[in-house]
Amino acid sequence: MVRRAFLLFSCLWLFSGCGKSEPVIKIGFVAPLSGDQAAHGEDLRRGAELAIEQAQARGPIIPGFSVVLVPVDDARNPAQAVSGAKRLAADPHVLAVVGHLNSSCTKPASAIYHEARLLQISPVSSNPEISRQGFDTFYRICPTDDLQGPAAARFAIQRLGARRIFVLDDMTTYGRGLANEFVRAAKASGAEILGHEGITQGEKDFTPVLTKIKGLDPDLIYFAGMFPEAALLVQQKLKLGLRAKFLGGDGLFEQALITLATPAAAEGIYLTTLGGDIRQLPTAKLFIEAFEKKYGPLGAYSSYGYEATNLALEAIRRAGKKSRSAVLSAMREIKEYPGILGTHIFDSRGDTMIRTIGVYTVHDGQFQFVEASN
Amino acid sequence: MSAGDLFLQQVLNGLTLGFVYALIALGYTMVYGIIQLINFAHGEVFMVGAYAGLTVLLMIGGQGSAAGLVAALGAAAVVCLLLGLAIERVAYRPLRSAPKLSALISAIGVSFILQNAVMLVYGAQDRYVPAALPASGWKFGAVTVTPMQAVIFGVSIALMVGLQALVYGTRLGRNMRATAQDPLAARLMGISVERVIASTFAIGSALAGIGGVLFGTYYSTINFHDGYLTGLKAFTAAVLGGIGNVPGALLGGVLLGLLEGLAAGYLSAQWKNVVAFAVLVLVLLLRPRGLLGERVAERA
Repeated sequence: MVRRAFLLFSCLWLFSGCGKSEPVIKIGFVAPLSGDQAAHGEDLRRGAELAIEQAQARGPIIPGFSVVLVPVDDARNPAQAVSGAKRLAADPHVLAVVGHLNSSCTKPASAIYHEARLLQISPVSSNPEISRQGFDTFYRICPTDDLQGPAAARFAIQRLGARRIFVLDDMTTYGRGLANEFVRAAKASGAEILGHEGITQGEKDFTPVLTKIKGLDPDLIYFAGMFPEAALLVQQKLKLGLRAKFLGGDGLFEQALITLATPAAAEGIYLTTLGGDIRQLPTAKLFIEAFEKKYGPLGAYSSYGYEATNLALEAIRRAGKKSRSAVLSAMREIKEYPGILGTHIFDSRGDTMIRTIGVYTVHDGQFQFVEASN
Repeated sequence: MSAGDLFLQQVLNGLTLGFVYALIALGYTMVYGIIQLINFAHGEVFMVGAYAGLTVLLMIGGQGSAAGLVAALGAAAVVCLLLGLAIERVAYRPLRSAPKLSALISAIGVSFILQNAVMLVYGAQDRYVPAALPASGWKFGAVTVTPMQAVIFGVSIALMVGLQALVYGTRLGRNMRATAQDPLAARLMGISVERVIASTFAIGSALAGIGGVLFGTYYSTINFHDGYLTGLKAFTAAVLGGIGNVPGALLGGVLLGLLEGLAAGYLSAQWKNVVAFAVLVLVLLLRPRGLLGERVAERA
């Protein structure tokens, strides 16, 4: 018994040792770091990590404090996102949050950050409803789906010549929202929507709905969802011998899509992305070099993780003290922010005015930039 | 494609998934039949089987072959058989005389442990499973049966026939049936009940392992939480067919697969689970013990 107590105490002592260091400022980072979408989350996290590392190397953000990134895993699950948000909100050292990834997580979490007067910068959650809630704590550095959906519809109709379209989504805040925007714009442009159905995230067998689509023989399948389901869809589409073209949203922009689907099945699919080709942006050149030196090939969302974290750091630097309200008012004072993706000007809802939507295709197992629209 | 061809294709889609459900459902039904335990870790055993198969296919390298698939199926069966034995020994046997609820909680605990262990070893992301067999298949009109689908049908039917023969034609099978009817009386007749229970876990787990490999190679991606949803569906299949009943597991699996496939194909993909589970509720209202459930011996 004595020995057990001793062991217990030595363990406690070991763990408590971590807490005794210089004063810290924390930036929360939330994304799916486990589960099927972990590849997306990891892309974001690396960008955020690099931003913190570079800022630290340049000297303290606020004299006397060191800044640390606190990664939290929401596993793309809204319930887990809310509990993670509550944990960050309850930690007085947290001055800003970068996240979440999925709109279905960002939306409920934003209410908690708003209540805690905590600055939230969303890197890639593109559902327009989030900023329409009117939270002054919410900022977003990517274009929204009321831009992405119509851009996708324009591309489908004008460039791919699609007249008869079947629409699938993954029934999430993001997927359903984007699909509705697409359908609205496509109908307005005269395309015929043969059907609009939802699939369930995490399931594997989409052959029944694809067989049904085969019977309708559309020109194009539009899918608003994420890459794990997209990989299965294009693969099962190939097996069923469905010839329709395939267009998806930015949730497909992830190298793992091609690995999981096989390059043969992914060949020739199209997807829209938030922002254009980052490799054509002179402002992003240094970032890409530093990133690829540290981590290897650039992840699709990494630049957004980097940009959002840098913006949070800028707000903290301008606040000059460890206070959430000071950070919020400093953020409000940032009229123009020159980032690697361009110069962000935020509208009254906290959305960026950078509104470029890109289009990519897959060729020989690689994403290839097609065009960008404003 | 004509409406008839589409229907045949939908039936084929449903049957393929249904046979995989049936293979997993057997494990639920056998364990329940013997000790009235819902082994919630069974879905995770299925998932471990899929990963064991993946490991073998990766070791063989490149695009797999028929021999690779056989090796993967064998390895997964052995790994899951041992895993099933270990789970029974560690998580259930010490609780044999405890209230039923304790074993249920223990089962949920084992399922978390297995999920997280696989996540730590193989990573949290989806893994691509190399195709073991060519994608080109045999054409029947406008419907194509792929070699992998043929393997799923063949292996599942062979295993179920074998299992039926084992239960009704061997000494072990007789002991299993005796234990299911009354463990105390079986023990009095000199049957080693513990050994029978362990064998049941071993056989059920090996079948789940084989199901895991078939599932992984057919759908080509696996994830550490795949055991949850598929396990839940297989459990449903077991209940639908009449839990505790071996042919019931086959019937329930095939029926659930067909229901899901046809509901997604003809009604709406987002309502397919609602339709499948509504039918389950209906069946249970009319036949509370499942479709073939009445054959289960009533315990005193």
